[in-house]
Amino acid sequence: MTLPLTSVVDTGRLIVCAGPGGVGKTTSSAALGLEAAVRGRKVIVLTIDPARRLANSLGLETLTNEPQRISMDAIPGAKGELWAMMLDQQQTLDDLVAKYAPDKGALARSKKNNIYRLLSSTLAGMQEYMALDKLHDLYTGGYFDLVVLDTPPTKNALDFLSTPGRARQFFDDRVMKWFIPSKSASRGLFSRVFDPGSMVTSLLGKIFGDVFVTDLVDFFDTLSFLQEALRTRGEMIDFILRDDGTHFVVITSAESRRIKEAVFFHEKLGELQQKAAAFVLNRVIPNFDEADLDGLDPLKVKKAFKAAGVDDYAQLETAMRAHYSELARLSAHNREIIERFAKQVGKDRLCTVPLFGDDVHDLSQLRLLASYLVDRL
Amino acid sequence: MLENLDDKRLIFVTGKGGVGKSTCAAALAEALADRGRRVLIVETDAYSAISEILGAGDSSHKRVELKKNLWGINLRSHESLVATLSRFLPSQKIVKAVVGNRVTKSFFDSAPSVGEFVLLDQILLMSETETPAWDHIVVDLPASGHAVTFLSVPQTLNGMMRDVGPIAKRAGEIHAVIANPKRSAIVAVCLAEEMPVNETIELAGKLERALHRGMDLALVNMVHEQPFSEDSLESFKRLAAAAEVQNNPASILMQPDIEPFRRWIAGIELARQWHERDLYYLGILHDRLERVVELPMVYELNERAIVSTVAGHLNKGRA
Repeated sequence: MTLPLTSVVDTGRLIVCAGPGGVGKTTSSAALGLEAAVRGRKVIVLTIDPARRLANSLGLETLTNEPQRISMDAIPGAKGELWAMMLDQQQTLDDLVAKYAPDKGALARSKKNNIYRLLSSTLAGMQEYMALDKLHDLYTGGYFDLVVLDTPPTKNALDFLSTPGRARQFFDDRVMKWFIPSKSASRGLFSRVFDPGSMVTSLLGKIFGDVFVTDLVDFFDTLSFLQEALRTRGEMIDFILRDDGTHFVVITSAESRRIKEAVFFHEKLGELQQKAAAFVLNRVIPNFDEADLDGLDPLKVKKAFKAAGVDDYAQLETAMRAHYSELARLSAHNREIIERFAKQVGKDRLCTVPLFGDDVHDLSQLRLLASYLVDRL
Repeated sequence: MLENLDDKRLIFVTGKGGVGKSTCAAALAEALADRGRRVLIVETDAYSAISEILGAGDSSHKRVELKKNLWGINLRSHESLVATLSRFLPSQKIVKAVVGNRVTKSFFDSAPSVGEFVLLDQILLMSETETPAWDHIVVDLPASGHAVTFLSVPQTLNGMMRDVGPIAKRAGEIHAVIANPKRSAIVAVCLAEEMPVNETIELAGKLERALHRGMDLALVNMVHEQPFSEDSLESFKRLAAAAEVQNNPASILMQPDIEPFRRWIAGIELARQWHERDLYYLGILHDRLERVVELPMVYELNERAIVSTVAGHLNKGRA
């Protein structure tokens, strides 16, 4: 059987990994990136998860906002290049402000603004925003053959795809639509509403304090010149996401609530006339099978225990049978869930990765993981 | 095991997705309720996991009795916003005007920290005003965000408003509760795996730095037990070596056409490796954190049964 991601790592230009958190999404992204690199491609894995998991997976102490080359010396015959970077949202935003501001003092002014300083990176939608911006740079930069994007572990991760006009709309609708004075009209909705002395302004001032409202107005004002730049990028990103070389991978685990979330992603992609190239089920309890216990040949069991120097093995055998049986029950339950899921999304797009006996934290373990996603050459 | 939570009215439960945070929060609430305490469990996500876990209907913004002494509520941010604004605005008419207006609605949707603030405001309000008083309010914090960011919101907001105005004052009050280990507890749920363990240790450090308080409890969920008694370990190792299953036993179980005996040994070897790995990471946690409680892997299929078993475990050894 051909694993569904084989051609994706060989020919894809962008892999978007989506799914709930805590199911090995970042690790799987890294495994796909590594596999593609081993096969000769120049790959960058971009992660946004502030938990610095990718760095852990790759055995790096820290990742910075700049691409970092990861050594593949330990893998004989590796032909390409593997790079990784973790998005530093604050740095990315600062860079954008410095790059697009009409005057040189804008960044310094922003940094004095209380709200910019404290919250610009946690603003609703900002994480997706900044990720797409970096994605744009890496994708269009020309150096990399393949970008692997590890999205934030939220249901909003696909929001930027969710409306007609998609990414561009996302930039329009999210954070700043109402707050940024439009360029054409000298007085946008924002300035009308937040006119000094307007009802809303004075009301908000009463609740939140005047200083806060003033800071907020300044904050959105500072960001206003980014709008045009972001809009252009939004159009480009729209284009990238619809390209034939772009593939979506939904990563989840076999737990029933996580499966529900995966179905949500599946439906969301369907609404967008997109299709996941694969669904990766991580941490699956492998096939423990009750029938194995019935199939045990007592003579063979006895011989094996004796050969291992265990003469009095009754107690050990009983414990082993009982434990295997419990795991078989859990495993059967898991398989039922997986089969139901397979009916919904199609068996040929499913990758099942077992819960290994060890954490995945070095290149050889990443490759082991990848062997469940991609056919080996 | 829960002695240090006995006198904490507010208990915040945090953890990354996939570690069983909601399951553990439910079990913790149930364990406290089983001790005769009056407990409310609060969810702050739009998607209600708790009602599903505890086998009740959707508890959206209404209190639902889940079992004796145990109540649940799913706080939606929009309803919380209306409720909070109602307390700070002079009339309902103005509240309606503010919430109904497209622009101000947009403001509240995208303005930093508003969502977190109103949720925390509503939670604290419940602990201050509802009668009979709650002994414990267990808050199942959102999985996607970061606990420290969430819990620092009142402090940050107060700072942004330079302590001016009624919201800033209220934010200050909420912060005083969150930062005071006598008035609130913070419980982190994790798995005995590298990344969750590292994150939990990091979280404890961040709590000290951002809120100048400690973590009250780390709950380690789904700890795999040794599949046989400890004195059989050497015997089993010889058996596993002879069957050649020690290197990646998971893959042996994933392959077709392996004979039952070898699959059996491989399966138990895999379970042994899970246990060994768990012990290693538990050791790291115990080294770095003061209060760590291990919860065993529960071999039940039904979520309700899992919660009860874990709750029973949390109350074990209690007279």
